[in-house]
Amino acid sequence: MSSAAVLERTVPPTGTRSSGVARRLKNGSISLLWALAGIGLVVLMWELVKWLGQYIPMPFNTSDITMPHVWTMVSAMGEPEVRGSDTTVFEAVVSAAFRSMTLAVGGFIIGVAVGLLLAVIMQRFLFAERGLLPFVIASQTVPLIALAPLIVGIGNRIEIGPIQWSTTYSVMFIAAYLAFFPLSVGALRGLQAPSATSLELMRSYAASPGQMLRKLRFPSSIPYLVPALKVSAAASVVGTVVAEISTGVRGGIGRMLIEYARQITSQPAKVYVAVFGAIALGLLVAALVTALDVYLTRNLPKENKA
Amino acid sequence: MSGHEHAVSADGVWKIFNEGLSNEVTALQDVHLTVDTGEFISLIGPSGCGKSTLLRVIADLTDATRGQMRVAGVTPPEAREKQLYGMAFQQAALFDWRNVRRNVELPLELQGWNKDKRKERAMELLEMVQLADFAEHRPWELSGGMQQRVAIARSLAVDPPLLLMDEPFGALDEMTRERMQNELLRIRQETGKSIVFVTHSIPEAVYLSDRVVVMSPRPGRITDVVPIPLGVDRDEDTRESDAFYESVTAVREALRGHVGGAGMRARVGEV
Repeated sequence: MSSAAVLERTVPPTGTRSSGVARRLKNGSISLLWALAGIGLVVLMWELVKWLGQYIPMPFNTSDITMPHVWTMVSAMGEPEVRGSDTTVFEAVVSAAFRSMTLAVGGFIIGVAVGLLLAVIMQRFLFAERGLLPFVIASQTVPLIALAPLIVGIGNRIEIGPIQWSTTYSVMFIAAYLAFFPLSVGALRGLQAPSATSLELMRSYAASPGQMLRKLRFPSSIPYLVPALKVSAAASVVGTVVAEISTGVRGGIGRMLIEYARQITSQPAKVYVAVFGAIALGLLVAALVTALDVYLTRNLPKENKA
Repeated sequence: MSGHEHAVSADGVWKIFNEGLSNEVTALQDVHLTVDTGEFISLIGPSGCGKSTLLRVIADLTDATRGQMRVAGVTPPEAREKQLYGMAFQQAALFDWRNVRRNVELPLELQGWNKDKRKERAMELLEMVQLADFAEHRPWELSGGMQQRVAIARSLAVDPPLLLMDEPFGALDEMTRERMQNELLRIRQETGKSIVFVTHSIPEAVYLSDRVVVMSPRPGRITDVVPIPLGVDRDEDTRESDAFYESVTAVREALRGHVGGAGMRARVGEV
């Protein structure tokens, strides 16, 4: 062998790092411009449809009550939430979205923990996979609307020492209930992903089951885990909003949507502000998961990144 | 080790898959083999001759159906627990999420070595396979040959007396392959390891080995053991020497003597 410095394939020199960051920033601002252009286009279309509706019959109602002007929506943000109150609609929506986010993130964390635990158990014991997986799948076929009052009903009777069950726990529980499923299925696939050679290698090192999990199965499950986390996060947001509505928990964006929808004749733009709040909530949680994704896949080659 | 023990000794080893069922396969039939300490042995033969199975029985990746296998005087499970062998496969099987150095550290980490000692040992080994400059690179940034050298360094990490290699150069191109063979001979000289090496290639087996074990399929068994009298110092000139060609011919004839008809049957059976 001559010298190892003779490269058989190009190895990227470490010096390109800073220019890589610059490139990413540039790409970032370009995609931001595209996103803004997209929003602008939607606003234009909205107003165009409304304008056309005055002259051509449309298959749906384009009146100011069902489709308020974009500027009405914006100005609705600054109006007081109820007559004479100090808080504006915008402030009320932000605080409701924030509250829902806490519940969604709480549910997400619980769901991820439970999902991972189930996946580990199912991977470790074949009988557990055979026995548990049908229940895991069946759990998702129960309609949420039927489940919510049940959970609230059972939950309200739970009292562990000084801890009293509150309805917000029920909301978190429902969010977790929706979030654990995609995660446990994705994690199970990921834990089963290592190649036969990798497994034999670890066996040849006399690795314990715990080492096998930590040093091989968990790291190789990451490419499967990341998309599962994204689906779970979305499920926990939807779960929170639906659970807030069906359990009647106040203070969150779900309940607010219902309340504002009732005021549609007097303040038609208000409900749209709440809808934007729900969208912002979803985007924020998605951003959190993307940050998690970047962190988890920092050591993986690009083609493995989800 | 007390010296008189063999690196590996197989005494009447059988491996039968699905014994007693209609799809029963005798992968190893009555294998007797001893590998002396410091000896380089190649297992060669067509697909299905049981050479990989024999290696896997030595490594305790599968157990013998009958017979007795000893690795450095103990049973294969004990040898595995005590890390008395290191293993290299056709796929380098490096972990993408670890850099090159931390891949070499893996077996040491599993043995509970502390961080500094681990790093020192890994760098020493990367030095040996001439990849110290690539310690902090990611595996996927290296060529196939470089990856395989990392895998060899990793198999040497715990300094086991025995190396088990399952077609480690099988996926490499011919030029890289010959360089890797020289590399392996040099490492062997430096470390004095006993090596059991599985290969499909006659010249490779001859160039590397003290003895070539010829195997035949259905049932998998040892049909010949060809000693290779090429001495200890081998280099590129060895590949062109008459003695080399004679040994290649001897191994080829040993293979042909037993493979011919059985090989044809095997091919029909595999369809």
